[in-house]
Amino acid sequence: MPKSATDIRHFIIAGVLVAITTVLLDLLLKAILPMPVQGSHQAQVIDQLTSWHLTLIAFLFSLVVVIMLYSLFVFRKKDGDESEGAHFEGNTVLEIAWTVIPLIVVFVFGFFGVRALSDVTRAAPDEITVNVTGFQWSWLFEYPDSGVASNELVLPVDRAARMDMTSRDVIHSFWIPEMRVKQDLVPGMTTTLRFTPSVTGEYTVDCAELCGLSHYSMVAPVRIVEQAEYEQWLAERTAGTAPALAQTGDETDADTDVETDADAQSN
Amino acid sequence: MTLWSLGLVRGVVGQIVGFAAGMALVIASRLLFGFDPVWNQEPALVGGIIIGSIGFLIGVGALTDWFKWMRGIETPLHHGPPHGRPAWTRYFGVDYNHKVIGIQYGVTGIILLGIGGMFAVIFRTELAASGFQFLNPSNYNTYLSMHGWAALAAILLGIGGMANYLVPLMIGAEDMAFPRLNAFAFWINVPGIITLLMSLNYGWDGGWTVYPPLSVLGPVGYQFTFWAVFLIGLSSILGSLNLIVTILRMRPPGMSLFRMPIFVWAVFATSLIQLTATQFIGQAFLMLSFERLLGMGFFDPDKGGAPILFQHLFWFYSHPAVYIFVLPGLGIISEILPVFSRKPLFGYRWIALSSIAIALVGFLVWGHHMFTSGYGEYLRVPFMISTLLVAVPTGVKFFSWLGTMWGGKLSFPTPMLFVLGAISVFLIGGLSGPILATTATDLFLHDTYFVVGHFHATIFGGFVFPFFAAIYFWYPKITGRMYDETLGKIHFWLMTPAFWTMSLGQMSVGVMGMRRRIADYDPALGVEFGHVLVTIAGFTIAFSVLLMIYNLLHSAETGRVAGNNPWRSRSPEWQIPSPAPEHSYASPITVVGEPYDYGIPNSTYVHMAPLAAADD
Ligand SMILES: [Cu+2]
Ligand SMILES: [Cu+2]
Repeated sequence: MPKSATDIRHFIIAGVLVAITTVLLDLLLKAILPMPVQGSHQAQVIDQLTSWHLTLIAFLFSLVVVIMLYSLFVFRKKDGDESEGAHFEGNTVLEIAWTVIPLIVVFVFGFFGVRALSDVTRAAPDEITVNVTGFQWSWLFEYPDSGVASNELVLPVDRAARMDMTSRDVIHSFWIPEMRVKQDLVPGMTTTLRFTPSVTGEYTVDCAELCGLSHYSMVAPVRIVEQAEYEQWLAERTAGTAPALAQTGDETDADTDVETDADAQSN
Repeated sequence: MTLWSLGLVRGVVGQIVGFAAGMALVIASRLLFGFDPVWNQEPALVGGIIIGSIGFLIGVGALTDWFKWMRGIETPLHHGPPHGRPAWTRYFGVDYNHKVIGIQYGVTGIILLGIGGMFAVIFRTELAASGFQFLNPSNYNTYLSMHGWAALAAILLGIGGMANYLVPLMIGAEDMAFPRLNAFAFWINVPGIITLLMSLNYGWDGGWTVYPPLSVLGPVGYQFTFWAVFLIGLSSILGSLNLIVTILRMRPPGMSLFRMPIFVWAVFATSLIQLTATQFIGQAFLMLSFERLLGMGFFDPDKGGAPILFQHLFWFYSHPAVYIFVLPGLGIISEILPVFSRKPLFGYRWIALSSIAIALVGFLVWGHHMFTSGYGEYLRVPFMISTLLVAVPTGVKFFSWLGTMWGGKLSFPTPMLFVLGAISVFLIGGLSGPILATTATDLFLHDTYFVVGHFHATIFGGFVFPFFAAIYFWYPKITGRMYDETLGKIHFWLMTPAFWTMSLGQMSVGVMGMRRRIADYDPALGVEFGHVLVTIAGFTIAFSVLLMIYNLLHSAETGRVAGNNPWRSRSPEWQIPSPAPEHSYASPITVVGEPYDYGIPNSTYVHMAPLAAADD
C-alpha cells in the first residue's frame, strides 16, 4: 500500500472501485426496482426520468461509500500508533470543483425535469373529459358528454383522458399507480389531471391524501378497455340499466369502520 | 426535602389548577354574556389549555424572577445547586446554568423520542399484516399523527440540548446571554408536551401536517395539538434568539467567526432559521384554532378562504424546519470526524458557509411539498430548480467529510461509528431527494412510503445518529465517566443495519404503490413482506436505543473515570475537568490557533488563561 495519502495510486485504485460499483449498482437498482405496470404514456416519460435518477444515485452512492470504506480500511490507525494524520486543511480547487460540477448536474436534471413535466401535463386534442368528485370516502365519476355517472372509472385505451376534479369535504388525491401521475382534489376549486392509458386492464384509483377515518379504503375500481367496449359500457349506462350510485358520504357513520360505497359496488 | 420543592411537581399542579380555572373562566363568560348553551366543550378546553400552560410556568417558577423585578425586588443570579436540597433536584426545577438546561432539554428530548418511537412501534406492528389486528382506523390515525409531532418536538428538544450544553462551553462563555430566558424557553416546552399528550384523550387524525378542512372538521384533539405546537414553537424562537446573541456577543478574544468550532456555525445557521421561520407555523396553527373556535374562515372556501393557503404557511416553516433538524447534526459530524481522523476538518470555511447556504436556500423551496396541491402549475418549475439546488451545499459537506477522512489515522470508538453511520444514512436520505424534487417523478412518488423512507433517512442521518454520536462523545464530559464501549458498539451494529433495512424497505413498498398514512392496505399490493421487514427493523432500533439508555444510566455509576480529555480533542471544553465544573472556565480563555489543526506538533487552539497572564 502506498504510504502518502496524496499518492496517485490511492486515487487510481479508489477511482476504479467507484466505477465498478457504479455500474453494478446501476444494474442492480434497475433490476430490482418494483415499479407497477407502466400503464400510460405519462408513465413512460416518468420512468425514463426515474432511470436517469437511478444512474445518478448509483454513481453518487458509490462515490461516497467506496471512498469512505477505502479510507476506513486503508487509513485506519494501527495499534499503538499515536501520531497524527497528514496535515492538510483543504483544497480550494477541489472545493470549487465539487461545487460547480454538481451545479451543472443540477441544471441538467432541471432541464430534463422541466421537459418531462411539460410532457406529462400536455393537453391532447380529442380528450375524454371526466368530472371527478371526491368525498369521504368515495369517488364519483361523471362523463359530461354522455351524462353517465358511475362509481367505477372506465376509460378507453390509447386515448387522452382529462380529469376535472373537486372535493365535497376535505382534500383528497387522485392516484392510479400504473398511470404514475397524481393530483389533489380541493374543495372550492377544480383541479385537472391528464393521462393517456396505454395498457388495458383493471386498476384502482387510490386516495393519496390523508382524508380522515377511512382514508385507507377510499379506493375505486378502474377499467382500461378497448374503445368499442368503452362505448358499449357508456351505452348501457345511458340506457339506465346501471346500479344505483353512491352520491354522498354524508350518511356514513363516522364511528364505524365502513367499506366504501365504491367498494361495495365493484363485484 | 418535600415533593413540593420540585419545580416540576409545582408546575404540573399549576397546570391542573390553571386548566380548571381556564375552563371555569370560559363557562363564566358564556354565562355572563348569555351564550347558549353555556357548556361548549371546545372553547372551554381551549381556555383550559391556555390558562393551564400559564399555570405551569407560574408553578414551576419560570416567571418568578420577572414577577420580582416588577415588584422591585433584587434577583441576583444564583449559581450552583440549590441550598438545603440534594443536588439532583436542580434538574427538576428552574435552574439558570446552561449545562443544567442543556441536560434538561436533552433528557426530555430522549424521553419524548421514546414516546414518539413507541407510537411508531405500535402502528408499525399493526401494519405488519393486512387487515386490522388490534387497532382500528380511528386510533391508528391518532397514533400516526401523535408519532409525528411527538418525534418532531423531541428533535427540537434534542437540538436545544446539544446547543445549550455545548455552545457556551465551546466558545468559552460563562453562560448563555440571557439565562432566565433560557430557562423559560426550556420550561415552556413542558406544558406544551403535556398538552400534546392530552390530545390522545380526544384523538385527531390529520398527521403532523394537519391540513384543513380535515383539521377543522375533525375531533377536538386538534386544539391540543395546535396549542402544543404553538408553545413548543415559542420555545424555538426564544431559544434561537438567545443562541444567536450568545454566539455573536460572547466569544473570547481571538475567536473570529471563522475560528469557531464548526458545531457553533451549524447552531448559528439553525438558529437563524428558527428565529425567522417558526412564526409561520405558530401563526398557521393559531389560525386553525380560531377557524374552529370562532368560525373565522381563513381556509374555508365557503367563507372566502383557501385550503391551499394553509399549505403555503405550513411548509414555509416546515421545509426550513427539516434543516433546523439536520444542520446541528451535520455540525456534530463535522465536529467529531477530525478528532477521530486526527486530521484538520477539510475545507472548514466551505462547510461553515454551506450551512448558511442551506439555511438560505431552504427558504425558497417550500413549494416542493405542493406539486400536486393544485397551486399554479407554473410554480412547479421554480420550486423544482430551487429544490435541486439544495444538493450543491449538501454535496460540499459530503465531499469535505471524505476529504477529512482521506489520509487520516482513523479510529472507531462508538461516537465515530455513529458519525459514520450518520453519513451513510444521511446519504440514503440525500440521494432519494432529487427524484422527489423533479416534479414529474414526484407526481408518482408524492404521498407514498417512498417519501416516508426518504424523510426518515434524512432525519435519522441528520439528527438521530449524530445526536447519539454526540451523547456518547460528550458523555465523559457530562458525567466524568466513560460509557461501556462494548454496549455502545452493540447499539451501533444493531441500529445501523436495521435502519438501512427500514429505510430501503419503506422506499420499496412506496414504489410498489403503498400510500402514506393508510391504516390498512390491500394484500394484492404485495407489500406485506416489506412491511414485516420494516416492522422487525423498527423493533430492533427500539431495542438498541433501550440498550443505550441502560448504558448511559449504568455507566454514570460504574464507568471508568474518563479524565479531562479522553479523545485528545483540541476543543476548549476538553481542556477543563470532567465533569465540567459549575463555572466552566476558572478564568477567561483566549483563542490562539485554528480549531482543527491536528497534525501540527505543539499547536493549540486555546490558552486557558487570558493571554497576558499566560505570557508570564
Ligand atoms: Cu380521500
Ligand atoms: Cu421540503
